[in-house]
Amino acid sequence: MMEMLSEVVAIFSRWNKKLVRQPILIFFNLIQPLVWFLLFTQAFSAIGSIQGFKDLTGTSSYITFFTAAVIIQTIASSALNTGIGVVNDFGSGFMDKMRVAPINKSSILFGRLFSSALTTVVQVAIILVIGLALGVNIASGILGVLVIFVLAAFFGMAWSGISLFVALNTKNAETTLSIGLLTTFPLLFLSASVMPLGLLPSWVQEVAKVNPFTYIAEAFQSLIIKGFVWQNITNSLIAILIVGVISLGASILLFRRKIS
Amino acid sequence: MSEDIVVVENLSKTYGKQVVAVDGISFEVKKGEIFGFLGPNGAGKSTTIKILTTLLEKTSGKATIDGLDVDVDQSKVRRIIGYSSQEVGVDDDLTARENLMLQCSFHHIPKEKAKAKVTELLQTIRLAEAADRRLRTFSGGMRKRLDLASSLVSDPKILFLDEPTTGLDPQSRQDIWDYIIKLNRQGMTIFLTTQYMEEADRLSSRLCIVDQGRIVAEGTPNELKAKIGADKITVRFKSADQAVCQKAKELLSKIEGIDAVGQCGDGLISENGLNIMTKNGSTLVTQVVRILDGAGIDVEQLNLSAPTLDEVFLKLTGKTLNVVERKESVGSRGMMGRRR
Repeated sequence: MMEMLSEVVAIFSRWNKKLVRQPILIFFNLIQPLVWFLLFTQAFSAIGSIQGFKDLTGTSSYITFFTAAVIIQTIASSALNTGIGVVNDFGSGFMDKMRVAPINKSSILFGRLFSSALTTVVQVAIILVIGLALGVNIASGILGVLVIFVLAAFFGMAWSGISLFVALNTKNAETTLSIGLLTTFPLLFLSASVMPLGLLPSWVQEVAKVNPFTYIAEAFQSLIIKGFVWQNITNSLIAILIVGVISLGASILLFRRKIS
Repeated sequence: MSEDIVVVENLSKTYGKQVVAVDGISFEVKKGEIFGFLGPNGAGKSTTIKILTTLLEKTSGKATIDGLDVDVDQSKVRRIIGYSSQEVGVDDDLTARENLMLQCSFHHIPKEKAKAKVTELLQTIRLAEAADRRLRTFSGGMRKRLDLASSLVSDPKILFLDEPTTGLDPQSRQDIWDYIIKLNRQGMTIFLTTQYMEEADRLSSRLCIVDQGRIVAEGTPNELKAKIGADKITVRFKSADQAVCQKAKELLSKIEGIDAVGQCGDGLISENGLNIMTKNGSTLVTQVVRILDGAGIDVEQLNLSAPTLDEVFLKLTGKTLNVVERKESVGSRGMMGRRR
């Protein structure tokens, strides 16, 4: 157990070093969420004054409401890179080097996942700072921000499982990237992250109710707009747990099978 | 038995149902030797080394390292081997020292001990000055030396090298050879695959020649060359007269110990000359010269050449190694590896 911990720490700090040395990667993922944050919210700011919007959300500022969607986009975009890093390791021969070493195979994945989670938190922090500059208030205060970070880290790891799974199956960076991008946007629009659930057409509502993005978004929205709504936080944790168990479970099983 | 560190019996690896990469090979590697695995691209060299290093599961047969089964005792095997792949598994975003420290942590070497070990290794591979530079600026030879060192942090009992010098320039190749020989002198057992005859000849104490997943010959480089059965003496005459050459051929054929004298002009372009095949060329050269001199035949040039492994390979498989094509494919792979 202690051995595995030191392995995870070694691999975790390896990825952190790689990232710090190419800081551009941190911002690269942020470009798309930022475009949405800065432009989409301006063009669609009238949504905030739609009848019923304030009753459903607790705010008439669309940008405040939309901050949750930007955070989710940031998390999803960051999660994409988890798989791509692993694909690169397969290509460069570094993966074989790790496999030949007497380490627990899961350490390779956990080290990567924890580093991704840290990256996600840094990126979400940048988004929140920009949000503050744009006039977004966080009702739940500093503690709420910490909860947002924790949820972002956990959801980031759970969502990374999907990109890991694709990466391990295809060992191809382009496929991993495009599958990630193709799933993020439809899921975002079929959830309560760009519109409150009550304003969505009924068929979209049905889809949104089984879409994990909805529960994550509602947790972020309530933390930003209202304060601590424990029901929403609990729901998001359940959603994260379900996604995480499935995606990471499948990835770990696949990884163990592929490399043993 | 105790001196065999690697024992492979009837090992096979099939991909899918059709592709047989390794087709029932058997061999042993003795402790302390450099064992070469020579063959062209696609002969099954990498597959074999990947099975021995636990990276790939075999389809059938048996393979043990120091008595440990490579499939059953995977984690124990990993503790006693070092492996340096063709792809050069180092991280370009890290420095040389960081790469080695990372390998140390994979082998659970305590930090203080690891630091000393890494400094020592960096000295040995002459990267002490570049130790804290990121690998992006490193040459192919430096990266390969670092890769070799990174497979040595755990003081393995046996080192597996998959085409250690493929794609390297001659100077870097020489460096790697020197390092391999040095390691071996210190007692390290080395298993290496190569597609270069010269490399197999220079480094290995024993080798297997592999082709299409099978071992076609096994022995020391000299034993294998002896299978060809001959040194080659090539004589070129000053006179272009065919009669002179015929006369020389007649005289030389009578010398005891000469196995065959070729046709006049054989293998020579617009020159009168002869190829003479013999088992002990060096002792017969003087006799050849004396007899020709006695007959008044002026010799312009005389060459004695030992058979090379190239000729062994050609004789055994009926083809030559296509090294040029291989180099190109490695070049593009190398670029992919660096693009991170």
